[in-house]
Amino acid sequence: MNLVAKNPMNKNAWLIVPAIVVILCFFIYPVSWLLIDSFARPKWGIQNYEVVLGRFVYLKVLLNTFTISAGTTFWCAVIGYPVAYTMAHCSKRTRRLLIFVVLIPFWTSLLVRTFAWMVLLQKTGLINQTLLTLGVIAEPIALIYNRIGVYIGMVQVLLPFLIFPLYSVMLRIDRNYSFAAATLGAPPVRNFFRIYLPLTLPGLVSGGTLVFVSSLGYYITPALLGGPADLMIAQLIERQISTSGNWGMAGALAVLLLVVTAICLGVVHRIIGVKTAWGR
Amino acid sequence: MTKDLEKLAAMIGRMSLSRRSVLGGAAAIGGLSMAAAMGRPFSAFADDLKGKTVTFASWGGAYQDSQKANYCDPLQQKTGVTVLQDGPMNESKFRTMVEAGDPVWDVVDVTHEFLFNGIQNNLFEKLDLSKIHADRITPAYRNDYGIGDIVWSYNIGYSTKVFTDGNHPKSWADVFDLKKFPGSRALNSDGPQATLEIALMADGVPMDQIYKVMATDEGVKRAYARLDTIRKDTIFWDTNSQSQQLFTDGEVSCGLILNGRAYDAANKGAPIAVEWNENIQSIDYLVIPKGSKNIEAAHALIDEMTVAENQAKLANEIAYAPTNPEAFKLIDAKVAPWLSTNPENASKGFVIDGQFWRDNLDKLKEGWEAWKVS
Repeated sequence: MNLVAKNPMNKNAWLIVPAIVVILCFFIYPVSWLLIDSFARPKWGIQNYEVVLGRFVYLKVLLNTFTISAGTTFWCAVIGYPVAYTMAHCSKRTRRLLIFVVLIPFWTSLLVRTFAWMVLLQKTGLINQTLLTLGVIAEPIALIYNRIGVYIGMVQVLLPFLIFPLYSVMLRIDRNYSFAAATLGAPPVRNFFRIYLPLTLPGLVSGGTLVFVSSLGYYITPALLGGPADLMIAQLIERQISTSGNWGMAGALAVLLLVVTAICLGVVHRIIGVKTAWGR
Repeated sequence: MTKDLEKLAAMIGRMSLSRRSVLGGAAAIGGLSMAAAMGRPFSAFADDLKGKTVTFASWGGAYQDSQKANYCDPLQQKTGVTVLQDGPMNESKFRTMVEAGDPVWDVVDVTHEFLFNGIQNNLFEKLDLSKIHADRITPAYRNDYGIGDIVWSYNIGYSTKVFTDGNHPKSWADVFDLKKFPGSRALNSDGPQATLEIALMADGVPMDQIYKVMATDEGVKRAYARLDTIRKDTIFWDTNSQSQQLFTDGEVSCGLILNGRAYDAANKGAPIAVEWNENIQSIDYLVIPKGSKNIEAAHALIDEMTVAENQAKLANEIAYAPTNPEAFKLIDAKVAPWLSTNPENASKGFVIDGQFWRDNLDKLKEGWEAWKVS
């Protein structure tokens, strides 16, 4: 018996050839060049890495990037979990409405949404003006040009990436487990933390990973909604290339981001287990 | 790979140029016949330049449109030379072009800083001053390698809604005084240039001592200590349009803005005015990239820029200050108060030290980035 007959999927393996070609041409090739550039420009050596690892600015920006990405993931989970839960356990009508509402942001460009947040969040914006008129606050609160603005903008954009993987996992959970636990006397809170939450963990991890990894490369949102202390690494890479023409440095920063991301994901999957995170 | 990319980009650039040159050629013929119909006599220059082309690169937008209308088009009509438009100007692109020995651009609008940088790195052709009426230009605004075409300035901008006429921030010390003048501040996020200067002025350093103080580590520390005092209340803008928006939306009460941007915002109805005290002027120069193949025509284009009428028209259109003082005779009385080279305004400030920034930018920029993220 050959492999093809054993596994019917292998017969159709050629279907992924276009995807492999695209990845080779537009990902592996440029990334390899960036890697080489980071050692070869302006001259051969590790000088770019010495600078990146030796200076406060770069380390602070790297730290910023991970803090903001982790914070965004956290808030997406806190806000997204109840939404996914409701979507998975409600009437068909409500579910359709919820899916529609969650998907709407996908139809609008990221840039437009970010500018819309600027209009809403600024001192003279809708939110501050409403709160001022209602007498809730006496002075406008700073919702933009700081970390709060960055979180608001990023969480809104990335929320669907957490909700949908979580929702699809929740949909497949056999409710009998919870019923059984209840029958055996588990109070609702314990029931949730011992039975339901562990069962949804694969969805939470894959959604969270998607949000975290997407956040790492964020560029427009922190630039427009953040302050100077919220600089993220993608902005720094762009600046190295467009202002200084410094490809070596940009390469080193990109490689550093890639390596640290890989380490982070490795640790997460070590703890939770790759299988549970990425399917069965 | 980046080399290949650069080559490819240059190739595409040239292709689009040749396509544009066809259009440009048509325009030139139109221009010629119009000039002939108007009976305008051709100068001796004309025969030399007829049929030649020169590529002008600037910063795009309303600025380049106005430069095209007021420097390039008149030259095209007078001489029959075809002036092609390109850009936007980009320092690394400029450098790559010159280093490759085959610049696509012949006349380029560059910043004060890049002028000194380029001179040091041998990126420009030395100008043949017998071919340019350099004496029309105020000496402070010209150089052997570049002739200033406009002057702009960093100013104190303030909200006329928050501060009524008599009582507004009149010095950088006022801008840094949150008690006397409440509200958020606007500062430039892009780099330490001008920002360190204003912080030192706010700290009491007289205008003529700024660069002496800034050359020392203690001086720089002093500037940052002063900046620390308003940091919490400052919104940093990345682009000039953002600076306009901050004043238009009432996000800030005062701060740093370029005079032309304040003018534009005010024209569009924003409650903004500028204070000329302690303004810092900067100059844009026209230069010829080293290795340009159209040196003659490039000089003719720079010479056309020095004409008072042309500079006045540009100032009336977009409120950038002329470098030829004669131009003020033709400038609208409504525009003149907004211009950095208006003698009344220029005397209240100083010209940014391009050489200082060339020599210290890398070092100070690092400190600036570190201060911002700390």
